[in-house]
Amino acid sequence: MYIPRSILILLVIIYLLFLVSVDWINEADGAWYRPFLVGLLVVVWASWTHRERDSDEL
Amino acid sequence: MSFELTTLFLIGSSYLVLLFGIAYITDQGWIPTRIVRHPVVHVLSLGVFASVWAYYISIGNALREGYGFLANSIGISMAFLFSPLLLKPLLELTRTYQLSSLADLMAFRYRSPWAGTATTLVILVGVTPLVALQIRAVADTANMLSAEASQGLVAVGFCLLITLFAILFGTSHRAGRTRHDGLVMAIAFESLVKLVAFLGVGLFAVYGAFGSFAELDTWLATQPELIQNLKDTDYFSSFHVLALLFFTASVAMPHMFYVTFNESNGQSSLSFASWALPAYFLLISLPVLPILWAGLQSGTDAQVEYFPVAIGIAYDQPFLTLLAYLGGLSAASGLIIVITLALSNMCLNHLILPLYQPSAKHDIYRWLLWHRRILITALIWAGFLFHYLSETQISIQTIGTVAFTACLQFLPGLVSILYWPQANKTGFLTGLAAGVFIWFLFLLLPLFTNADPLSLVAINWREMAALSLIVNSILFVGVSLFSPTTDEERSSADICTLDTIRRRKRSGLVAKSPEEFIRSLSKPLGEKAARREVTQALQDLKFDISDRRPSSLRSLRGRLEANLSGLLGPSIAREIIDGYLPYSVVSEHGTTDLNVIENRIETYRSNLTGLAADLDNLRRYHRQVLLDLPLGVCSLSDEKEVIMWNRALTKFTGIDSSDILGSPLEDIPQPWQQLLETFLAEDTNHSYKQSFLLDDQSKTVNLHKANIEKPGAGTSSREGVIILIEDITETEILEAGLTHSERLASIGRLAAGVAHEIGNPITGIACLAQTIRDEYPEGELGSLAKQIIEQTDRTSKILQSLVNFAHAGSQQPRVDYTAVALRQCIQQAITLVSLDKKAKDIDIQCHCDESMRIMGDEQRLLQVLINLINNARDASRDGGTIKIEAYSRNNRIFIGVTDQGIGISESIKDRVFDPFFTTKEPGEGTGLGLSLVFSIVEDMEGDIDIISPVDKTQGTGTTVLLSFPCYHDDSDAEIERHEPDAQATLTE
Repeated sequence: MYIPRSILILLVIIYLLFLVSVDWINEADGAWYRPFLVGLLVVVWASWTHRERDSDEL
Repeated sequence: MSFELTTLFLIGSSYLVLLFGIAYITDQGWIPTRIVRHPVVHVLSLGVFASVWAYYISIGNALREGYGFLANSIGISMAFLFSPLLLKPLLELTRTYQLSSLADLMAFRYRSPWAGTATTLVILVGVTPLVALQIRAVADTANMLSAEASQGLVAVGFCLLITLFAILFGTSHRAGRTRHDGLVMAIAFESLVKLVAFLGVGLFAVYGAFGSFAELDTWLATQPELIQNLKDTDYFSSFHVLALLFFTASVAMPHMFYVTFNESNGQSSLSFASWALPAYFLLISLPVLPILWAGLQSGTDAQVEYFPVAIGIAYDQPFLTLLAYLGGLSAASGLIIVITLALSNMCLNHLILPLYQPSAKHDIYRWLLWHRRILITALIWAGFLFHYLSETQISIQTIGTVAFTACLQFLPGLVSILYWPQANKTGFLTGLAAGVFIWFLFLLLPLFTNADPLSLVAINWREMAALSLIVNSILFVGVSLFSPTTDEERSSADICTLDTIRRRKRSGLVAKSPEEFIRSLSKPLGEKAARREVTQALQDLKFDISDRRPSSLRSLRGRLEANLSGLLGPSIAREIIDGYLPYSVVSEHGTTDLNVIENRIETYRSNLTGLAADLDNLRRYHRQVLLDLPLGVCSLSDEKEVIMWNRALTKFTGIDSSDILGSPLEDIPQPWQQLLETFLAEDTNHSYKQSFLLDDQSKTVNLHKANIEKPGAGTSSREGVIILIEDITETEILEAGLTHSERLASIGRLAAGVAHEIGNPITGIACLAQTIRDEYPEGELGSLAKQIIEQTDRTSKILQSLVNFAHAGSQQPRVDYTAVALRQCIQQAITLVSLDKKAKDIDIQCHCDESMRIMGDEQRLLQVLINLINNARDASRDGGTIKIEAYSRNNRIFIGVTDQGIGISESIKDRVFDPFFTTKEPGEGTGLGLSLVFSIVEDMEGDIDIISPVDKTQGTGTTVLLSFPCYHDDSDAEIERHEPDAQATLTE
């Protein structure tokens, strides 16, 4: 089965980001909007990987 | 703050009228297509997923579960971020086979109408609470804004307007498979309105309710229990289940399936949505917490879920309140419209059509349209009924959860479509039944009764949802592994599974042409609908109605099944196609359509990496070798269908490979069909020098054939035959030419010997004539003797020419050439020709200037002219005219000998100069005349051409046109150059 490499990379990044960011988000004195910053990072990364892959689209 | 009911009604109605307007102007084409089909519009239409759940329920979830409220956004974002794993393959599948709903997809994959029916029933029962939830949210918020707006009244009014809109714009097209641009545009607008409204309320919450971000933080610092609740990791316990719930719902929910797959603009649009839709949900989640906190700070006693509306009321902001209300209205109406539209198709295809199908006398499109409208109405009012009957104390969050959990039951079946070919319908139906039973018993029933079965088993709803999924999955896998799978299911699994190329059987069909397709389909569909469907399928495939190739007919059959699937659902479509367009023979297992595999690999090529890419390169190399082979290569299947037709064969036969691939042998044009059929019937594998006529020209080929053995099946089993066709026509002509040359050389040697032998008596005759001339210098006898001498002299020269012709390279040297007076030479030729008293009475006219001269041999030119005049005379009728003209042009002298004879046909024009070629009766001509003429003219640096016919209207007459370089008398110039004084003296 073919899985695009960029998707695998995105999967790994999201997993790593989740591990790293859970504690950061839940810090007692952390800003309430921290999950949204992580979300923004994922969206930006995803937009970049999807644009990269478009050139190889069938 | 309270609004009058009429105000609310007017605002709500105006908003829906605005939606009508947007949908209408889009359908009328007033909005440019580049805007309507823009990926942003598609992303916004996908925002239909952000229903009342995202708009209202997430506020309550944020209070109860902290960051757990993000499960909704994260679930759908995951589905789209990883779209290449699930959504994109499904999009490809649904577009190829025109599968318009989850039920269609399940019925297609598991090859069972029951799979489609069961899916429809579960979705129908599961989704109705969701529709009810939307109606309730609109009714509740209207009730908050106006005390006189009873929930029932608002719900009825809302349902009426939504029903009207869904019928008008959702079923505006008679065929169900067409895109609904107007509807998509309206839904996109609704998504934009709810986003703007929610962000507006959020901004007010921060800057209006608190004053600024800093003051919000300050207030938060005074609410430690809120912060603790927000960041309490306990929410993780339900987060996973919820995220999975929404992940599945984003694919399985009818409205999402409809917008993602049916109204998509293709893969690129989905690629854009892969990151843009998560961005949309990120934005719509952003104001949730500020709105919650602003609501809590305001001290409103409204239900937490309705804080977006309550804030406006609490802070006395009528505009904000109405904006929030409109946002909620958008969220609710968008979902209801799309969900009922999608559900109506599912119900029609999987609940009604299997039980009752319209007869061929009905207009099937009209019948479908009206039934779809009735179903939309019924579904919306079923939602209303559910809302009316359900316990009012049950929270809208619980209703939503129940609806989404129903969709969770399709997760194993969905994933297996792409990733587990062993799954079968028994496993799917068993797993689904078990999961749905648990859902129905523990989650749905409590909505209508006071009983709480969950408390009996001491687990919460999330655990029960997870349990239903686990039981479903275990039964699905277990039963699939231990129950038989039909061939049809295997074939369908092959089509759906990503790593398997679709294998279409290469069987013949009973119907042998598109016209026969129409006749066959007229029985179930009616003549009009059958013709329309076949024409549409032909257009989709870019085929002509006269295309009768088996491979084209198979493609047409597949396309028709897909198109009918879009109209009637896959089960009914398959039933019709299998029943009315059957295969003529059950094909042997493994005889696959190689052209289809080839095409699939070509389109999949850029995805191949590593070893697969290497194998593909190897395959392409071998294929290219066959295509570029300078021998004609034709490969035939065991059913005698053309599989390969390489470039050399295309060039040789003039038949393009695209026209012939997939055709049966009998459809190959003659003479190739007979040639190949005869050769295939022969026992021998090689056939040499097979001659046949092609466009009136003889062609010769060598044929070779070999069986293509089935891989691994041994020599006894063959998959087809490969034929090599070697064009040896040129070689044959060369061989014939060589033989002819050999013969000519022999004749030449013979002629030289004969000429030599004749030379002796001629010399004797000349001597005798000279003696007579000397004896009788005066009188008739002397004159005759002179003529004999001249003729013997000429005969000697002719003999010398013949010897020269026979011995190549022995032409007379150039130095012998002198200036020849043309007129004199022509007159002499005419005189000599006139001596033949037995010849026809022909008038020979000479038009030549006295001064014309060429450089050459007078005797040989005379010979040329005599030959040409004799030929012209032979071709002319008695009493005809031969015209000999000479003129000068472009520094060349042209001599034309024109007769009024029958002319020379085009086919022999090129051969008249060939030695021994003659059209005269045997014994009348040697065929050497014109060949000698050609040889002499060439020696004299001249050209010869034949113009025939001269009279184009009657097609008669021939002109033999000779051309020679002009003769320039340089002696005068020489004198002028070297002896100017002498010249001057002469002048004086």
